[in-house]
Amino acid sequence: MAYKPSMRGKGEFLDIELDIRPVMNLMVVLIPLLIASAEWVKLGVVEINAPPAKGPSGGAGEGENQDQAKEKEMKLGLKIAIAHDGITIGNAQALLEGEQGEGPTVPLTAEGKYDFELLKKKLIEIKKKIKGKGFKDEDRVVLTASADIEYQTIITVMDYVQTYEDENGDIVALFPQINFGSILQ
Amino acid sequence: MAFQPSKSKKNLTKEEGTLNMNSMMDMMTIILLFLLKSFSTEGALVTPSEELRLPVSQQGEKPKKELNVTVSKTMILVNDQVVVPALNEIPKDQMIISPLAAKLAEYAQQEKDLEIEVGKEFTHEVNIQGDENLPFEILFKVMFTCSRTEFYKMRLVTIKKG
Repeated sequence: MAYKPSMRGKGEFLDIELDIRPVMNLMVVLIPLLIASAEWVKLGVVEINAPPAKGPSGGAGEGENQDQAKEKEMKLGLKIAIAHDGITIGNAQALLEGEQGEGPTVPLTAEGKYDFELLKKKLIEIKKKIKGKGFKDEDRVVLTASADIEYQTIITVMDYVQTYEDENGDIVALFPQINFGSILQ
Repeated sequence: MAFQPSKSKKNLTKEEGTLNMNSMMDMMTIILLFLLKSFSTEGALVTPSEELRLPVSQQGEKPKKELNVTVSKTMILVNDQVVVPALNEIPKDQMIISPLAAKLAEYAQQEKDLEIEVGKEFTHEVNIQGDENLPFEILFKVMFTCSRTEFYKMRLVTIKKG
C-alpha cells in the first residue's frame, strides 16, 4: 500500500512558468525558412504522347503490315484547326461548317476572341454521335494551328477538348488523347 | 486643474505582469504545420522570370522532375543551359532545331548508358516549359525535335488555375 502523503506543510507552492523562449526562437527561425521555400504557384502538366518517331530500324515490310492493319480499323481522325478567324473541326473526309454555311466551324466572338464554349458544345455533339460506333480513335484528336497562334490559346483549347461536364455534373473525358499535327499553311 | 499626484508611497509597488504567450504559440504551431505540409523537397521546378511566363490551364497532373526543355521569349534552354541563344535565328524551312536535337541526343545517350550500367530506366519523358506568347510554329518544332530524339513522352508545364 502506498504511503499517505505527508500532511506537514511544505511551505508555499512554487509558481514556475514554463520557459517557452527556446521554442519561440525555433519558430521564428523555422517559419521564415518554410515560407521562403513554399510553393506559391501550383504547377500542372498536360501530357501529350507523340508516337515514337520511326527510326531507321523499322523495316519497310513492317510498315506495310501496319498500314494493312490500319485499313481494317475504323478511324475517325478528328482534327481541330486553330486559325486567326476561328477554329475548324473536321477530319480527312469532311469539314464541319459554321452556322452560316461557310467559314470556320467556331468563328470568333463579337469581341474578336475564340469561342471556346461553342467549340466544346460542338465537340460534345460529335462525341455523342460517335459513341459506341466502334471507332478505334474515339478519344483522340489532332490539334493543329497557324504558325503564329499563341501557346496560351493552344493550352486553353486543350483544356476545353480534354474533358466536359455531363448532365449529372460529372466530369467525363471528351477527347483526352491529344496529338499535334503539322502547322497550317 | 489636475489633481496633484498622491505623495504617499502606497501606489509605488509595481505590478508584476507577464505576457501570455499561449495563444501566440497556438498560432505559430498551426502556421508551422501548414508550412511543413506545403514544403516540397523536390526543389523549384521552374524559375520564374519576365522571359518565361507559363500558360494557365485548368487541369493537369502533378509535375515530376524530368529533363527540362525551356522555351522562353528569346531562347531555348535544356536543363538551364542555353542551347539556342536566339529564337529568330531558327531557320524557317527546317523542322528540326539542330542545336537542340544535338543536346537532346546527348542526354538520351547518357540516359541509355545509365540504363545499361545501373539499371535506371530511360523514361523518354521531357517537360516542356514554354512562354505563353510562344508561336505555335516554334512550339511545334521543339516538340518535333523532342520526339525525334527519343523524348516522345512530352509534358507541357502550365500554371494551374483555381
